[in-house]
Formats: sequence, C-alpha cells, structure tokens
Amino acid sequence: MNGTFRVCPTTGLKVHAQADGLIKANAVVATVTLLIGGISAVLVLLTRWQAVHLLSAEWFYRMLTIHGMNMLIFFILFFEMAVLYFASAVLLNSRVAAPRLAWAAFGLMLVGTLVIEWTMFTGQADVLFTSYVPLKATSWYYLGVILFAVGALVVVCIFFATLVVAKRERTYEGSVPLVTFGAAAAAIIAVITLGHGAAIYIPTYLWSLGIMNVDAQVYRLVWWGLGHSSQQINVAAMVSIWYLLGALTVGSVVLNEKVSRTAFVLYVLFICMASAHHLLVDPGMGPAWKVWNTSYAMYLAVLASMVHGFTVPAGIELGQRLRGLTKGMFEWLRRAPWGDPGFSSLIFSIIIFGFVAGITGVTFGTEQINIIAHNTLRIPGHFHAAVVGGTALAFMGVTYYVIPLIFRKQVAFYPLAKIQPYLFALGMLIFSVAMTFAGTFGVPRRHWDITFAQAPFDLQFSPAVDLLLGITAVGGLIAALGGAIYLIITVWSVFFGRPLEAGGQA
Amino acid sequence: MMAMHGVPPGVANPPAPLPPEASEPSAEHRGRFSSPGTMILVVVFLVAFVVYYFVNWNLLSFLWRIG
Repeated sequence: MNGTFRVCPTTGLKVHAQADGLIKANAVVATVTLLIGGISAVLVLLTRWQAVHLLSAEWFYRMLTIHGMNMLIFFILFFEMAVLYFASAVLLNSRVAAPRLAWAAFGLMLVGTLVIEWTMFTGQADVLFTSYVPLKATSWYYLGVILFAVGALVVVCIFFATLVVAKRERTYEGSVPLVTFGAAAAAIIAVITLGHGAAIYIPTYLWSLGIMNVDAQVYRLVWWGLGHSSQQINVAAMVSIWYLLGALTVGSVVLNEKVSRTAFVLYVLFICMASAHHLLVDPGMGPAWKVWNTSYAMYLAVLASMVHGFTVPAGIELGQRLRGLTKGMFEWLRRAPWGDPGFSSLIFSIIIFGFVAGITGVTFGTEQINIIAHNTLRIPGHFHAAVVGGTALAFMGVTYYVIPLIFRKQVAFYPLAKIQPYLFALGMLIFSVAMTFAGTFGVPRRHWDITFAQAPFDLQFSPAVDLLLGITAVGGLIAALGGAIYLIITVWSVFFGRPLEAGGQA
Repeated sequence: MMAMHGVPPGVANPPAPLPPEASEPSAEHRGRFSSPGTMILVVVFLVAFVVYYFVNWNLLSFLWRIG
C-alpha cells in the first residue's frame, strides 16, 4: 500500500496514495471547522453591531472563544498539515514517511479538536482564544489543546522525515523547490511554537487540576511565544502558497532564489522575539526588552514579509513580460487571468495582507503608538486583515487547484467560484478598515456591550462609532457570504462533484 | 485552447513554458529593471505606510500632550 502512486496528468507529479488520503482528510476537517468558525463569527458580529446586539453576554464570550479556536487554530492548522504533506511528498515525488504514524497524528489532532469543541460548546471553557490565567477552563480543555499540539508536532516531524526520505531515495534533483523550502520554514516555526505551547499548556493543565500555580505575566510571556508564532506559521505557509499560485496561474518566475529563501530564514530567526509586541503595555517587562524585541527583531521579520511582498508580484510581472505582455507598465496585470479564482485570490491576499495588515501591524508594533491602539478594535481590524484577508483567502485560492489536482474533481458551481474571491476580499476589506477606524475612537475589543448599560459610570463614544460598527457588520456579512459560497463549492465538489477523467496509475 | 468546465485555467490550460531566450537577458534589456510595474506598486505602498505612520504619531501627540 505504501508504494502506490498515481501520476497527475496535469503536473506530471507522482502522488503517493497516503499523501493523497492525508491531504484530503486534513482538508475536509479544516473545512468543517471553518464552517463552525464562520457561523460563530456571524453571531459575534451581530452582537458587536450595537443596533442588533444579538447574543447574551455569556453566549457572546462563548461564541468568541469558539470563533477564535476554530478559525485561528483548527481551520488554519489542519489546512497547514495538508500543505505540509503536499509540499513534501507531492512536490518531491516521494512517499510519506511513516504513514501509519501520520494517520495516528491526524487522529490525535481530531480527538483534541473534538474535546476542545465539547468543552467550549458546553460552557466549560469560556476563556477566549488566549485563555489568560487566571481565567480557568475545565482541565479537559487544556488536555485537548495538548493532544492537538502533540498530533501537530508529530505531523511536523513526519514532514521532516519525508524530506529525508525524498533526499535519500533521490526523488528530486538539486535543491528542494521554493514552495517546499517555505513549508520547511513554516515547519521549523511550528516546532518553536509547539515548544512554547508545551511550556505553557502543561503547567496550565496542572494548574487547572490544582497541582501548581501559574504566574499571570509568565503565562502571557510564554503563551505569546505560541500565540504569535502560530500565526507566523500561517504567514510562511501563505507566502509559500503565493509562490505556488503564481506559478500555477500565470507561470510566474522566482526573481532570485537566494533572496526569497533568505527571507524565509528571517522568519525563522526573528518571529518568535517579535511576539513581544503583544506585551508592549504589560507592566512586567522593561522598556529595553520591549524596544529590542519590537524595534529591532520584529523589523527583521517584517523585512522578510516585505521581500516576499515584492518578489511575488515582481515574479508574476516578469513571467508575464517574458511571455510577451510588455506594453506599458501594467499590461502584465491588466491581461492577467482575473477570472481564475486562484489568481484573484492571490492578488487580493497580497494587497490586503500588505496594505492593510502589514502597514497597521508595523505601526502598532511601535511601543508609543501601541499605547493608543492596545485593546481597541484596531487590533482585531489588523489581524483579521492578516489572517482572514491574507492567509484564509490564499488558502481558498489554492483550494480551487487542490480540488482538481488532488481530489480529481471538477470545481462545482464554477461561475460562483470565479466571483467568490472578489466578494470575500471586498467584505474583509470593508470589515477590517471600518473596524480599525472604530478602534481609533477608542472602542474596546472583546467587549459585549460598549454602551455600558447598567454600569455605575457613563461613557459616551462619538456618534461616528455607530456608523463604523454598522459598516463593519455589513463588510463582515459580505465576507461571510463569500465564505459560505466557498464552503458550498468545496463540500459539493469533494463529496458530490463530477470526477475528472482518470489520470494514469503507476 | 483546451476548454474544461469547472476547472481553473491554470489546470485546463497551464501557462505556456518560457521561451528559451528568457534565461538570457537580451542586450536591449540587460541592466534594466525587469519589473517596473511592481516598483510603482512598491512606491504606492511606501507612501501609504509613511502617511499612516505619521498620522498615528500625530494622533498620539494630540492625545498625550507634553508640557
């Protein structure tokens, strides 16, 4: 069974049957968790919109926890596990190292996910995504996180083992492709991330059992080594997908392999220290520590994103120019395949990630400015642009290629697929920008009721806030519609879609 | 061109391979920047970044007056 391959008739790549199955399983679970995260997103959105204010306080925080865990952890990480199998076994024409262990790791992640979902939905873990101590959830919640993390760590180890197998069995020549190199950077960051996760969640699990104490400031320090680095796995995976989509959709070229690879190394070296920007207003850290980590180390990680933000579109431009689209400055962009959902997703992902998430993120990473942005809606405005407008949109774009290339199915409702990235990107752009503006008026994040009804004090926001929260909701609902279309297309294609003609079997 | 319903163009009609001369820049293009359109986009990004950064410091100076 381990030796079964099929040859992709489009790319000519040899696809190992186990890699095929593991990619499909991870992608399906990622899609289901995206559905849960999306429904909870709409409920949270309709509560923050003061004119609607849908949920009670209890259910608002419960749904916010469910939304955070499903979107930031389950959807993203299951999808990234699929990316790791694709970037190692598929791109290198290799077999998966230890496939039985890989399935066991998938099972562990799934069990962890189910345990966490159960604790959240039953109200035993209303602690939000960050689960800051001394907020305490049931011990099962922390145990679920540990199981999930162990499973993810095993998958990362299998990824590295598959690289070794491919090298030893000479399934490729020369250096690994840039996409695989980027995935390797994501995997290294994943090890750093999961190390921090073990360092904080195991003590917190013991704390929840009453065995030991956990200091609140130490928790925040170590937890953000997990919390922020995990998002940098997303960035490295997203950038890898940018290069992949550029090559698949328009045949983009890599301007300079060394520059792009060095940029990935910068992520590995500096992103963990950049987690310090989450602690810029914490009293437990001194200014020298904050300034070193955010004004020096963080900028080197930001530099890496700026390098990729240049080399990906420049590679697309050069590829287009070499194929004859040389008129003026922008013929290469004007005559690009805008009806290809993979290409439109790629471009919107770069724009939203760079212009909205990147610019706001670097600005908020400055200590003095962070003081006016911290804990306001400007922060979720920033990270929704990064994780949803950037990462999730890139993942959606590559899905339209995974369906025919891996699942061997036609993309269902293809005309809808063509407009889906436009709808989702427009919605996320409106949502993120309006949310960021609302934050500049001091509107707090993670807050059930900003009218402070029944509070012993009175606080009035500018009337503009109501308008901005309304616009935020409209943008969010447009994005949710785009997300729903993506889910319908994906589920229908995978389970009920028309198969492509069979590829060759080897 | 091959038409396949429900399949992205990159799968149905993969991008044409690069012409053989593409690996060697022509004498005309040697020394010229290969992606001028992207450079313009980079300048737009830089201006947006500078404006946003300056506006934030300006906002801070209003909220947190010294002296």
